[in-house]
Parts: sequence; C-alpha cells; structure tokens
Amino acid sequence: MPTVHVEKDRCKGCELCTRVCPEQALGMSEKINAKGYFYPVAKEADKCTGCRRCVLMCPDEAIQVEVKGKRTAPPEALTGAPLHYCPGCTHGVIHSLIGDAIDHLGIREKTVGIAPVGCSVLAYNYFNVDMQQASHGRALALATGIKRGRPDLAVFTYQGDGDLASIGMAETVHAANRGEKVTAIFVNNAIYGMTGGQMAPTTLPGQITSTTRAGRDVKHAGEPIRMVELLNELQTPAYLTRVSVHDPKHILAARKAIRKAFKYQMDGVCFSLVEILSTCPTGWGQTPHDACGWVVDKMTPYFPLGDKKVPEAA
Amino acid sequence: MEKKLMKGCEAIGEAAICAGARLFFGYPITPQNEIPEYLSSRMPQVGGTFVQAESEVAASNMLYGASGAGKRVITSSSSPGISLMGEALSYMAGAELPAVIVSIMRAGPGLGGILPSQSDYFQATKGGGHGDYRVMVLAPETVQEAVDHTIKAFDYADKYRNPVIILADGILGQMMEPVTFPEPVRPEDLPEKPWATTGAKGRERNIVNSLYLNPDVLEERNWQLVKKYEAMREDVEFDTYHLDDEVDVMIVAYGTVARIARTAVDTMREQGMRVGLFRPVTVYPFPSDALAEAADKAGAVLTSELSTGQMLEDVKAAIAGKRPVEFFGRVGGNLMAPEEIVEQVTALMERQGRSVA
Repeated sequence: MPTVHVEKDRCKGCELCTRVCPEQALGMSEKINAKGYFYPVAKEADKCTGCRRCVLMCPDEAIQVEVKGKRTAPPEALTGAPLHYCPGCTHGVIHSLIGDAIDHLGIREKTVGIAPVGCSVLAYNYFNVDMQQASHGRALALATGIKRGRPDLAVFTYQGDGDLASIGMAETVHAANRGEKVTAIFVNNAIYGMTGGQMAPTTLPGQITSTTRAGRDVKHAGEPIRMVELLNELQTPAYLTRVSVHDPKHILAARKAIRKAFKYQMDGVCFSLVEILSTCPTGWGQTPHDACGWVVDKMTPYFPLGDKKVPEAA
Repeated sequence: MEKKLMKGCEAIGEAAICAGARLFFGYPITPQNEIPEYLSSRMPQVGGTFVQAESEVAASNMLYGASGAGKRVITSSSSPGISLMGEALSYMAGAELPAVIVSIMRAGPGLGGILPSQSDYFQATKGGGHGDYRVMVLAPETVQEAVDHTIKAFDYADKYRNPVIILADGILGQMMEPVTFPEPVRPEDLPEKPWATTGAKGRERNIVNSLYLNPDVLEERNWQLVKKYEAMREDVEFDTYHLDDEVDVMIVAYGTVARIARTAVDTMREQGMRVGLFRPVTVYPFPSDALAEAADKAGAVLTSELSTGQMLEDVKAAIAGKRPVEFFGRVGGNLMAPEEIVEQVTALMERQGRSVA
C-alpha cells in the first residue's frame, strides 16, 4: 500500500495537497506544527493510490510518497532549505520543477542560476548550484555575460513579472533577440509580491492592487503585457511557451516545458523562455485554493497556455 | 620592443587583449567609440567575444555576469554612459567582482558636449553608484601610460576583487602616440578564481551576491570592504616634476592637464621661476601623504583641472590648510593653454608676495 510521508514542520498549511487528492485520503491535523500551521495527515491512508498529485502540488517539498518501497525525493538540484515564500504561493512548485529538469539532464555541476529582485530574491539559497544575484531586471544581462564567457555552462534566470517584463524589458527583449543560449524562467503572478502588492506589467484589467486601488484602468496604465507573444514577434529562433502550475496536470506540462527549455540550451539550439502562471494568495487576498482557481478563470483567458514558438531544429 | 603609432582608444583595446581579457561588452558613445570598434574586430581574432549591448546598463551587468564566472572582463564608456553603469559598479563592488571600466570623460552635466573634460572625477572616485563603496581609479597622462594602466588595472582588479576605473579624457582617447606592449598574458595561464560560478563540480557551490539582510552582518561586511580599500594604499602612485627642491608654487594636475602643466613649468623654469608639478597617478586611492609632504616644500599650491574644482577637494583635504590652495579650471570641453597656467601661477605668486624673478 502506498504511504504518504509528511515532513510536518516544513508545511505552511496551505491545504493545496488535500484539495488535489482525488481520493480524499488527506486531511488536516488537529494540532499545529512548529511554525504554527495545521499540516496534512493521511486520515484515510488506505484510500491512497500513490498518484503523487500531492507531491507535485506541495510548494514546500513537505510531502513524499512511497509506493512499493520506492519513495519520491526532492530534486538533488535543490538545497532542501525551507522556503521563505508565503503559504500556498506556487514559487516553491516552480523551484521543484527547475530542480527536476537539472537532475533529469544531469547538469547540476555545470549549472549557474541567477536570482532576481522580487519575492524570489533569495532563490540562491534554494538551488543547489552555483548562483549569482542580479540587480532588478538585469538577470538576462548577467546570463549573457556568463554564457558568453563559459558556453559550456547551463545558465538560467529566475525572474518575476516586474523584473523581466518591466524594469528588465530591454534586457529580456535583447537577450532573446541575440538568441543567447540561456533559459529564462518567467514567473507571472500579475502582481509585485515582495514590495507589497503593487501593479505589475501583467496585472489584469480591473485587478485591484495597492497602486490600482480601484482596479487597473487600462486607459492610463495600459493593457497587461503578454511577454511570450511580444517576444514571438522577434525573428530570431527561440523556444517560447506559457504554462501554469495551478493543478497537478498542468504542473506535469510545465515540467515537460522546463526540461525542454534546458535541453535546447544544452544542445546550443536557441534562447528559451518559459512563462509560468503562478499564484500570489497574499497579494491577491485569496486562499491558496481560490488563487489556483483565479489563475484558471482570470489569467488563462488573457494569457493563453501553450507553445508559441518552437525552434525548427526540434 | 616594437613601437606602434596608435590612437589612445585603440591602444587601450589592444592592452586589454594583452592583459588576457577575452570579453568586451559595451555600447557606443562619443568620444570612446574606437574602443568597441577596435575590439569588435580584434576580439574574434584572438578567440574572444565582443558583444554590443542594448545599453550601458546591460553592458555593465554582462560584465558582472562574466566576471562572476571568473573571466577577465572590460567595458568602456563616456560620462552619461558611465552614469548608467553606476548600478552595476555598485553591485560589483558589493559582490567583490573584478572588472575594468574605461571612462573617457566628456563635458557635462546632462548631455553636455562631446569634447574633453575631467568633470567625472567625483563620479569615479567618490561614487557613481549607491552605497558605501570605492573603486580604484588610474588616471593616465600619455597613450603609453593608458596601455600600462589598462594592463595593471586587470591585476589590481583581481588582487582586490574590485572594479578598477581607467579615468581619461577625450584627448587621450583620440590622440595618437607611439606605444609598446609587453609580452601578452595567455588567458589559460591566469590563476583560477576559486570563488567564481563555474559549476559546482567537486566543491561546495559558489554564490556571487551583495544581499545581506541582517544589519549586523552587513555592517561587518562594510567594514571589511573599508579594510580592503585602505589596503589599496600600498599601490598609490604619483609623479613629480621639478619638485626636488623648494618651490614657490606647486601645481597639482592629473591626466591631460598634467601635460599642459609640464609645458607651463618648463616655460616658467626657463624664466627662473621656482615652480614644480605634482601629478596623482592613482586618483583613488589619492596620494594624500605624498602630496602633503611635497606641499611642505612649496609656498602655495595651484590645482588645475578640466572641471569646476573636483580633485581640488582631495588636494585641500591632504594639505589640510598648511598652505594656500588655489584653483584654475576650464570646462565645457575647453582646454587651458600653458600660457594661461603661467599667468595663473604668476598672479598667485604676486598675491603671495613672492618674487616672480
């Protein structure tokens, strides 16, 4: 019988695992953990089929599942340090997917990651690879410098919407246009999380933020920027795709896209950018579960999922 | 060694290659375009890389990345462009990354003009970017010295793990002089940088970073950096001309103005005037002790610059009121003629009640 292992003190009580469990095998604890959160417990353990949806959905690497003696494990390309993100924020899910891609390609010892400014400013604590910290928006300029100096390395940036699509727009467009053989992971949660929930270049029309208190007025603030579509206008070959991590099925699709993005780089094929729709329960003022629903209902109509550009060599 | 007649900017470019640099990131701006132009064709010849960036902001951050990956790197720009590089300069100083930045000064403020100036002395020596940091600044006087400084700058950058600025004006960048180059350094012979992000193979991972959220840790880090800046004093350089004996007036000038002042000193010496020149070669660290010592043997001091008085502040601080310090500057892209310096010195001597002979 499959067993669910919960590292309870890593848990921040977001309840996303219990929501994605198709068998309702998981419930929340009666007591709180060391952080002060209720955590999942296998209340009806015999119902678990070992589908691992809870493992994929957990943003804090707090759940592992054992099936026939084989236990899932967090990627080696992650340090295992507890993540500082808010409960239910899907940054952690994306970290795991990048770790997975690095492990999958066996490139941990030749990867350099670039941490941005924003909520993921401390990303260098979490990726178990050489890391550089960039100033706001310049991650792809750093990536260019590293890759041009050391073409043998795998270089990726991890950037939010303010970083990549606002202050770093020029660096993004030109790195893509030069066809730098690097991988940009673009986390779009339609808000500035770290500075307290201000409008992002990707904030939706009418969306309330701390600098658009009556909702984004497109007459003054313009329409949200679709980065994948914008970069698609460039003539340089690239891999441009948009994915989401609001449920396990989409997480698997995102995993595939991120693996591909790294593979294109390692094969010297092209620049790649994976835009990932991500949640900000704190900034949006929603429960983690509702935030995942908001991604589906509000974000995906404006930011359609799927590959926008795939290099011909593929 | 074979002498070549070269333009200052191109000689700086060749010197970078001579020092083993194989990566140049830059953005065009007058009057330093000959550096990127030269290196755009020269770098590929030696297996190097030239990238014309989308802006000085991007170019300097490419420098950060490549330096963080352990490479010798160089960029060049002029005043407004160096302003844009202030961000990366601060981050590189914070993350302790070696890099060479060539600043070919033109007149400001704002868009200013494209003619020579020394109005970015403060920018180079006192800041440019945010935060409590310093960069080493070398101020060449001749094209040969620009070559020597560029090569030395890479060594200093590696020695101190800090950016180094070559501070020159448009005249030095544009004029041609005969130069020689030393035996080139082969990049593969340069020592490994154990802190660089080269892939965490067989070692703990490396992190290039300037973020310290704990105030006590950041404070400690700031004081550590200060120790490093103080240690740079061992590489202070200066030059003197006719200062062996007592003088009535000591001129203090750097870069191109020092050349003009030399001619003025020759003229005045011919007339029997007791005048000499003190030339700071490193303007950060500033040769304060040597200057104070030289001032002891001078009646008065005249600082001359292509600015409204920037190095003047360092001169006054070094001399600390022991001697009168006066100033003569030309700005806007204009230069002073040697005769103007002679006039200024003569007037100063008269004000001081000294015989002009």
